[in-house]
Amino acid sequence: MSDENSSPKSGTEPTAARSHLPMWTLVVLLTLLYLGGIYFDHHSGWFDRQVYAPFDNAAQLDAYQPKSGAAAALAAGKKSYESVCGTCHGNDGIGKAGQAPQLAGSEYVITRGFNRLAHIPLAGINGPIKVAGKDWNMAMAAMGMALSDADLANVLTYIRGSWGNKAGEVTAEDIKAIRASLGARPQAMTAETLQALPE
Amino acid sequence: MTVNESPSTTNIDASCRVPLLALFSGAALWLVVSSALAVLASLSFHMPGKFGDIPFLTYGRVQPAADDALLYGFCIPAGLGVLLWIFARLGQVPLRGGIVPVVAAHLWHLGVLAGVVGILAGESTGFTWLEFPRGAAALLFVAYLLLALWAFMNFTGRRAGGLFPSHWFFVAALFVFPWIYSVAQLLLIGAPVRGVVQSAVAWWYGGNLVFLWTSLIGLGAAFYFLPKFSGRPLHSYFYALFAFWTLLLFGSLSGIPAGAPLPAWMPALSALNSLLLIVPILAIAVIGWKTVMGGAVQTCKGGSYCMIKFGFVAFLLSALLLVAGACPQVSRITQFTWFSAAQTQLHLYGFLCITLFGAIYYILPRAVGRDFAFPRLIRLQHWCSMLGIFLLVVSLAAGGLLQGIKLHDAGAAFDDSTRAMLPFLRTSTMGLLLMLLANLLFALNLLTLLFLWHLSVIKTVVGAALAPLGKTGVKA
Repeated sequence: MSDENSSPKSGTEPTAARSHLPMWTLVVLLTLLYLGGIYFDHHSGWFDRQVYAPFDNAAQLDAYQPKSGAAAALAAGKKSYESVCGTCHGNDGIGKAGQAPQLAGSEYVITRGFNRLAHIPLAGINGPIKVAGKDWNMAMAAMGMALSDADLANVLTYIRGSWGNKAGEVTAEDIKAIRASLGARPQAMTAETLQALPE
Repeated sequence: MTVNESPSTTNIDASCRVPLLALFSGAALWLVVSSALAVLASLSFHMPGKFGDIPFLTYGRVQPAADDALLYGFCIPAGLGVLLWIFARLGQVPLRGGIVPVVAAHLWHLGVLAGVVGILAGESTGFTWLEFPRGAAALLFVAYLLLALWAFMNFTGRRAGGLFPSHWFFVAALFVFPWIYSVAQLLLIGAPVRGVVQSAVAWWYGGNLVFLWTSLIGLGAAFYFLPKFSGRPLHSYFYALFAFWTLLLFGSLSGIPAGAPLPAWMPALSALNSLLLIVPILAIAVIGWKTVMGGAVQTCKGGSYCMIKFGFVAFLLSALLLVAGACPQVSRITQFTWFSAAQTQLHLYGFLCITLFGAIYYILPRAVGRDFAFPRLIRLQHWCSMLGIFLLVVSLAAGGLLQGIKLHDAGAAFDDSTRAMLPFLRTSTMGLLLMLLANLLFALNLLTLLFLWHLSVIKTVVGAALAPLGKTGVKA
């Protein structure tokens, strides 16, 4: 410490010169901000919380989503099901006591054809009915009337293909035909009228 | 010693004496403990069986204990001590109510003791840099608030008018720690947030503490001592202002690695801010260059000036390593390797610790009013710590790069990548041993000074107590 001590100004407090900031610091700052901005623009997904590395933006993620075919139908059906049907039948398809019977493994769902199943959302249903060994006595409005043919077809495809159900696909044309056969104000189904229909 | 200094300077230095001794002596002990633990942790890589059966000496406990003892045990109390003295000197106001910082210093060191023992006993919280158990964290928080409050009161009561750049850096550091520490404790340990948000908070805290807080303290000290030693004014006020704000803005938003499993905007924003850190780094380099060079060149001969200059260069290097490591292209190779550990060590030890050594070697003799007992050891310590940190950082950084390249080679077995590290880890152990020696020398000088001061106090007290008796005895 003797060296510093001998220096003439060691006792006084340091001062700061007042020379101004040169322009190049701002140029460097703005250049880096520009380059960094380009990087951020390309790789951040603009604060989309679905976008993770290695993907860069929402459009890229979208390109990986199924656009058509069975997977797309199932995905669309799941979306409609969960907003329209899931409230009572449950998003897991096991139904809710006092609200709606189960769809998973239900004998009205996993039939070979889907004629009976399609009549329920299109016409509604009331009165006593036995589903998977349990007795129900409720009423369901014609919830499917508000859905388009394609949407309802997707929902039914989803119901028939989820939670262990392995029944086949439903197409928009089929729904269109059944809807046409029912007329404008169809009578609600009962267990008996449903059973009377062909599968 | 005080030939050129105004008469009140002696009083100002003396007013800091007891708080500084309390802060620095505890810090010196933790420094030795930390490097001893770090050597143990490093040894467990090439002698894994040696301590495997002793639970508190296993790597998972020793390594965090060593890191935390270094940062919380040495860097923070020593940094706050340097800050207290520089505030008092710059403001030309003696430190009043010195008993509070003394109590706070002891409280702080007690907290670190509880924390380190807690980690070794297996009570770590599991978050990097936040391993200390709750009780210890509460002690640290209260102690920091007290120290910061006293420093801030001294700051607001300053007599010498304008602000010097060190003021900004130090005041920001005073506020940064309580803010980040309380937020991290609350969001990670008090009322934990869910899922990966925890990792985001932990990275944010680590980045702000290990890079931002340490940079504010170390640069504040360097900007005070560089002009003091070079005998030239700091070049300049406006450069420093620019560096301060850009460092604070960009430094506080970096820290999340590029490969983090978080929504892409978080690592991208962090990488952007790390890139922008080049701006304050350049400004700081220019400040150092223009302040030190150009005038009558002062030689340093291994004293405080040398250490502060070395620390300053280490800051520039470690900050550049941080920027490089945050580049996604580099990070792809260096993530999960020793590379980031090399950067952290360079920043904490090479920059902050060595800067603080230089500051303490300058401050303490003035505050205590007595020279160090072994002035030659200061130079030896400087060489040991320089060589030690050089070996440690170069071996870990080079080894980390090699490890990363091997990890990326689909043809190389994983075992290869870890085995390739062995020679580098052995070299790093050599570096840590040298650092342990340096820290022992530092503690020896400091504790001897403390002991001699205690001795002189006791002599004075005993002398004062015995003096009248002696006189009457002789006369009778």
